[in-house]
Amino acid sequence: EVTAETSQPVVFVQEKETGDHEKTLKAQKEGKPQKLLEMNEHTLVPHSYDYDLIVIGGGSGGLAAAKEAAKYDKKVMVLDFVTPTPLGNSWGLGGTCVNVGCIPKKLMHQAALLGQALQDSRKFGWQFTEEVKHSWMTMTEAVQNYIGSLNWGYRVALREKKVTYENAYGEFVGPHTVKATNKRGAEKLYTAERFLIATGERPRYLDIPGDKEYCISSDDLFSLPYCPGKTLVVGASYVALECAGFLAGLGLDVTVMVRSILLRGFDQDIANKIGEYMEEHGINFIREFVPVKVEQIEEGTPGRLKVTAKSTKENQIIEGEYNTVLLAIGRDACTRKIGLDKVGVKINEKTGKIPVNDEEQTNVPYIYAVGDILQDKLELTPVAIQAGRLLVQRLYAGANIKCDYVNVPTTVFTPLEYGACGYSEESAVEKFGEENIEVYHSHFWPLEWTVPSRDNNKCYAKIICNIQDNERVIGFHVLGPNAGEVTQGFATAIKCGMTKEQLDSTIGIHPVCAEV
Amino acid sequence: MGWEEKQVRGYLEFAQTAQRYHGRPIFALFCGDKDAEGRSWCPDCVTAEPIVRKELHNMPDESVFIYCLVGDRAYWKDPNNEFRKNLKLTGVPTLLKYGTPQKLVEEECFKAELVRMLFTED
Repeated sequence: EVTAETSQPVVFVQEKETGDHEKTLKAQKEGKPQKLLEMNEHTLVPHSYDYDLIVIGGGSGGLAAAKEAAKYDKKVMVLDFVTPTPLGNSWGLGGTCVNVGCIPKKLMHQAALLGQALQDSRKFGWQFTEEVKHSWMTMTEAVQNYIGSLNWGYRVALREKKVTYENAYGEFVGPHTVKATNKRGAEKLYTAERFLIATGERPRYLDIPGDKEYCISSDDLFSLPYCPGKTLVVGASYVALECAGFLAGLGLDVTVMVRSILLRGFDQDIANKIGEYMEEHGINFIREFVPVKVEQIEEGTPGRLKVTAKSTKENQIIEGEYNTVLLAIGRDACTRKIGLDKVGVKINEKTGKIPVNDEEQTNVPYIYAVGDILQDKLELTPVAIQAGRLLVQRLYAGANIKCDYVNVPTTVFTPLEYGACGYSEESAVEKFGEENIEVYHSHFWPLEWTVPSRDNNKCYAKIICNIQDNERVIGFHVLGPNAGEVTQGFATAIKCGMTKEQLDSTIGIHPVCAEV
Repeated sequence: MGWEEKQVRGYLEFAQTAQRYHGRPIFALFCGDKDAEGRSWCPDCVTAEPIVRKELHNMPDESVFIYCLVGDRAYWKDPNNEFRKNLKLTGVPTLLKYGTPQKLVEEECFKAELVRMLFTED
């Protein structure tokens, strides 16, 4: 095995950990490196570390693991620090999901849905004479206030569970040692028996003139202190489409600039339906172009920006004017500046992601990782939380359940929501062969959409079955309102190995979308 | 300059006082009314008050500490009372940093560490 510390006493601890499983479990329960050394009959100076576990990153994965470890009376520290965005924006404890991800996104998506509901309500008999307008500031203040209460809640929870928290940037400086630098530049060193890296990701920039000075990212959008106005969203990820979706739903003029395909990695049949729906509902799409330059025409809140873009196919150049340019072209793992080289943790040089074994252990036995930074794992909050909790239970509570990364359900909160679990049609064909899978599908018209005369052929459900395995359902896709709520239950059914026959024999609830 | 304390009774007085010190850090402790012997009808408030007072020196300079008696038990139990409606208070005692979502409710106020964290958190 590879360890950086060949001359430290602790290397014997490491060797024993990977060697003698039984003794290690016993030692883990007792939690003292000294005892382990005694057991190995080495009369070395025992190590006593400052902490049992130091977690670098206070997001979904890090906090879940820290709180779990505290339950087993471990001495835990969480280091969380947000490097400000190029525009100077920062936020409190809780990570991406809470501050600049899932939570504000879903709230703003809801704000947009409520706008639509207000329109629909007239058809159901509600009478109001004024035109309905939206206030960005009212919405954003309310969202930020809620996020603030979550940040505070985490502070209280950590304190009550006796987890030490520092708002400081953690980086490895040597074996078992991190340096924590706070925002005033003060540095402190801490040691721990084990470490958990849960540093997550940050939005990628285009690397073109004007990108960092004038463009915003999702890190800035949810606390923007002024309405973004006419917006260009660059990217075709779920982040791009969800943001474009709710911005348009709030009444803004939105354009999406796409380099190639929509929602890479997701079922493309559904991805295209989502794009069509958005286009039919007033969102402009510029396909097969990439921005090459962003210039400021006028300062302001918002200002006016000129974007120059080039076609990916021919030599065409186009220009456009927008109040705001939102970049959503991808996220990069925060693994390059945390001193991983000093402790020998291997990362994928190209992507920055950390490869781990099925117990979330890096190539360095006492260093673990969870969350978005993991290579080849889903970037979802519940996945990070589950992985973090199970890891801690295995380390400190003698459990041996590993995180199940298969058949994890997800939902994309575009204007027409998309819930999925299992294989996309393309990946099912690739894995099992077209002749071995059967696809069942159906359009449906939600009852709630009939009276207000909303689209009658846009909602869609599809299941993919493995013919060779009793027509077991291996892929579930639904496009329609409340897709997340619909999908959750089916995810458990898929986990239990539901077959098409079992699905057919389940009587539907009427009248709901899920009955289809 | 240190900090100063203002004692108020009822929502109107509270709102006026908070308004007057706009711009300075304002912390407020809400408790049930006290009888002629100085005992509150709210037993948790009786427990929390000395604990909170012991940590007041941790407040940043220029802070204003507003000690607010909310009213009698019947007023407090009314789900439409002004404190519940306007400040979203859910229980007494409540210790909060005015204008932020930071607050400690009921038994949380018994923990000196949490009180200190509220006063020093930025």
